[in-house]
Amino acid sequence: MALAFRRVSKVYQGAGRAPRFALRDVSFDLAAGRRVAIVGRSGSGKSTLLHVAAGIDVPTAGDVVVGGRSLGALSDRARTLLRRAEIGLVFQFFHLLPHLSVHDNVALPELIAGGRPATFRPRVGELLERVGLADRAADPVHELSGGEMQRVAICRALLRRPRLLLADEPTGNLDEASSRLVLDLMLSLAKEEESALLYVTHSRELAGLADETWRLQDGGLGDASPPGGLRP
Amino acid sequence: MIRYWWTSLVASARGGGVLYLLTVVGAALGVASVLSIQIINRSAVGAFEAGLQAVSGDADLSILGRTPTFPERLYPEVLAESGVAAAWPLYRVDVALAGREAVFLEVVGADLVAPLQVPWQGESADPADALTRPGWIAVSPDLATRMGWRPGDRFEVTSGSRRARLVVGALVDWRRRSPRASARLALMDIAQAQGLLGHPGRLSQIDVRAAPGADLSALASRLAARLGPGVQVLTPAARGEQAADLLAAFRLNLTALSLISLFVGLFVVHESVQAALVRRRAELGLLRSLGATRGQLLALILAEVVLLGLIGVALGLPLGYWVAAANVEVVSATLTNLYLLERIESLQFPVALAGLAALIGVAGALTGGLWPALDMGRRRTTALLAPFTLHQAIRSIAGRLAAGGAVGLAVAAAWFAWVGRGWRPGGFVLGVALLAAIPLVTPLLVERAGAWVRLRGFGLGYSLKSLATRLQTTSFAVASLAIAVSMLVGITLMIGSFRRTVEVWVQTTIRADVYVTTPSWARAGSEATLDPAVVAALRGHPGVAFVDRLRRLSAYVGGRRIAVAGIDMTLPRREERFAFVGGDPAEAVRRVREKGAILVSEPLARKAGLGRGDRVAIAGPDGALTFPIAGVYYDYSTEAGAVVMDLATLDARFGPGGIHSLALYLEPGRDPDRVIDELKQRLPDAPLVFRSNRRLREEIFAVFDQTFAVTRVLQGMSLLIAVSGITLTLLVLARERLSELALYRALGARRRQLFGLFVGKGLAMGLLALALGLAGGVALAAILIFVINRAYFGWTIQVHWPWAALGREVGAILAAAMVASLYPALRASRTPATELSRDDI
Repeated sequence: MALAFRRVSKVYQGAGRAPRFALRDVSFDLAAGRRVAIVGRSGSGKSTLLHVAAGIDVPTAGDVVVGGRSLGALSDRARTLLRRAEIGLVFQFFHLLPHLSVHDNVALPELIAGGRPATFRPRVGELLERVGLADRAADPVHELSGGEMQRVAICRALLRRPRLLLADEPTGNLDEASSRLVLDLMLSLAKEEESALLYVTHSRELAGLADETWRLQDGGLGDASPPGGLRP
Repeated sequence: MIRYWWTSLVASARGGGVLYLLTVVGAALGVASVLSIQIINRSAVGAFEAGLQAVSGDADLSILGRTPTFPERLYPEVLAESGVAAAWPLYRVDVALAGREAVFLEVVGADLVAPLQVPWQGESADPADALTRPGWIAVSPDLATRMGWRPGDRFEVTSGSRRARLVVGALVDWRRRSPRASARLALMDIAQAQGLLGHPGRLSQIDVRAAPGADLSALASRLAARLGPGVQVLTPAARGEQAADLLAAFRLNLTALSLISLFVGLFVVHESVQAALVRRRAELGLLRSLGATRGQLLALILAEVVLLGLIGVALGLPLGYWVAAANVEVVSATLTNLYLLERIESLQFPVALAGLAALIGVAGALTGGLWPALDMGRRRTTALLAPFTLHQAIRSIAGRLAAGGAVGLAVAAAWFAWVGRGWRPGGFVLGVALLAAIPLVTPLLVERAGAWVRLRGFGLGYSLKSLATRLQTTSFAVASLAIAVSMLVGITLMIGSFRRTVEVWVQTTIRADVYVTTPSWARAGSEATLDPAVVAALRGHPGVAFVDRLRRLSAYVGGRRIAVAGIDMTLPRREERFAFVGGDPAEAVRRVREKGAILVSEPLARKAGLGRGDRVAIAGPDGALTFPIAGVYYDYSTEAGAVVMDLATLDARFGPGGIHSLALYLEPGRDPDRVIDELKQRLPDAPLVFRSNRRLREEIFAVFDQTFAVTRVLQGMSLLIAVSGITLTLLVLARERLSELALYRALGARRRQLFGLFVGKGLAMGLLALALGLAGGVALAAILIFVINRAYFGWTIQVHWPWAALGREVGAILAAAMVASLYPALRASRTPATELSRDDI
């Protein structure tokens, strides 16, 4: 199992205000290689779910299991190392670093992990080749289009062959044509890399590309839909 | 708008207290640096003026010898001159307190029945008592309290090798006439002062009060013509100006150094204003979109800068005074060592100086903040609201800025080569052009250094590369540190070279085994003579092979006061005692010995435009005395200038006089310390100071190091300001780059790695500043050594690389940069991955 939520709740306690449930008793299993889209209104808890899944945020109750390891039992340091080894992240606003080239942006997780350049450089080249940006490797990222930037971000997320790929509205900042292209690419790469993929989207069409779609409403997870469509 | 301004300022200060604190620190240290030096400078001149006012406050004119003293017979001549209402003679001599050689009394011998207004404490002294009671002296109440003296108490002083027993006859409070007058000013009857401490029949000064309505300048001219060329007739103002001129080079150099600190402080202010504005760009953009005019934004920003500048001034004023107070002792010692001026006993902090400091602080803060404020005021509303456009501007003009800096420097160098060389402050223009070029070159350096790094990990290379992300912010921090490093390295190189040059000079010139002088020699100068019997005793002591005698007095070449020394040129190997600038040393010494020629010190030769083969006129007791110049020698004992001649020539041309110090050459195998002990036993009552060769050298270097002590303080302040700039920049980055830091965390970076990243940024900034600062420092050293020093002091300094000192400084700078980055690194390391905003990075 790539990812499992066991009765996970996340409550934000504002000063002098009533507690607000971002996640409410959420449980699910995400099998290795499985690709799932999460939909829901703004504020329904989608991003919180991804943050908790990535170990960036900690749940108020319940447990999250990534690659068989319970995050609740881990220290911040151990969660960080687990995230480094097992999880790839893709963000709506790409979060590419302007002082790094396309190549170095992709290589960033290995730089952080202390990988040897001789080992990771071929992998960076291979990923850029697969997303059609091999000839842009030395370019500064601000010269890329939005779609190209997100392709770079996907390469970065996949660099260390994560067991779990989490994407928070990966097409939210792209036009329609680019959105489809980028998502197709991400889905196919996740399949090839055998990474489980959990992505958040507002688009029914893009959600329909996943193996299944889950709806998040007021912090709670609704029914799962069959492949190819969202069950109302 | 004012209400909004205040609310916004309070909110910003709450959110970024450390940033505001650093802005204030930058302004405060800059103000303190300039203020402390101005206080010390003012106090140095003030100390001289206070003494002048205390003793000669009633005089319209003072008549002073061109040599230390002049004959008493001139006094009736003065009285006989029409337009002179009153005149009173003075004999001044500094004496050492026996047993407490570091305490001197500045004795003023005066005719106590003359019209001199004496500010007695309590009852006026009985003139009969003052005239007839041997050793009668009036001391200041402060000194009496400090020494525990009461009227009737006796104490002993030395003048040269003479001892005199004095009795406290009365108290005289000079500070009633001049509040800052020295507590060591004492008053005696002139005849007693001459007889007991100096030379009967000689005067140091005649003060003149002009008749009502007399034309002072005409009277001065008539007196000068009547009294002959051996004296000069000066107004009190002219005497004050002489002291100010004497100190001009010293003061100018300190002022220039303090201005560098201010310059660096200005950068820190600029940096912090820039940072605050970048942080508040969205707020400013919103205000613009809601209809605020550019003028309103500009006023909003500048009002904040002025407020911070004022807070900086409020802190800088007491800090500056404190720095001045902490350093006044060493500066005072330097002034008395190098210029034989009064000690600075109290600091002067006139309101005007506080006003100047306030103006400097606020104007500096405004200057630092103006450009970023104008820049922000000019921006389009959309640009203010968009996060990615900022910092792009400087990247696009980095090359042009660097080219501008290089061209500016080249133009300044060309100007200096063709025009500025003949202008004394020309070297400062070169220095300013150099320091101005550093910040202009910095953005390109930071950008290129980042581009040059090939990433192999998340270490120092990554930190260096990441500096280019916020080029404007980091460039300013690097530039301000680079300027401070330039100053540090430049001055270290100059001092190191100077010290080494003096070491070589000392090895050449300090060759005797034992040096003998008197406790009062350091202050009293020409009056501190050795008794001939003492000289004879030292000469005849077993183990002393031969004795070199020195007689020294002050005189004038043109308007320049110089030291005139006479030594025995008949002694063997005299040519080895001097390091000659050029020519044949043996021939030069032969001409000095046989032809009555003189040797001229390098500073005098440079300043007066003299050279070997020229003739020079020295103002003697009876008019100008002309001497041929046999050679020019290196001399680092006084910047005022000196000449050396044979002792017989000095006695013949300036009149006979006593010997001031001796250099004893011992027979081979004799232990100098042992001989010194023997001499002390042999002459137990003679107030003599013995120094072995080694001790004299140690003392010379102690004085040397003391001279540059205040320079070190200024260097330290400048570095402190620059280092606070690094902290400021990294705090800005830790705040501005939250999303980037959160991204690293999201990608698996540990807190320790973020901490390391920021320490690495600090180190990288330190390294870049070092690279630039070392280059700038070497250039600055060249300007200091070859241009400014020669123009103002006239010394030749051989270039020497003080590797150990430079190595220590490089280590200290890098360590300081790292320490400066610790707090921002800690802040950065606490960034949680959840801080990943929906904004782009």
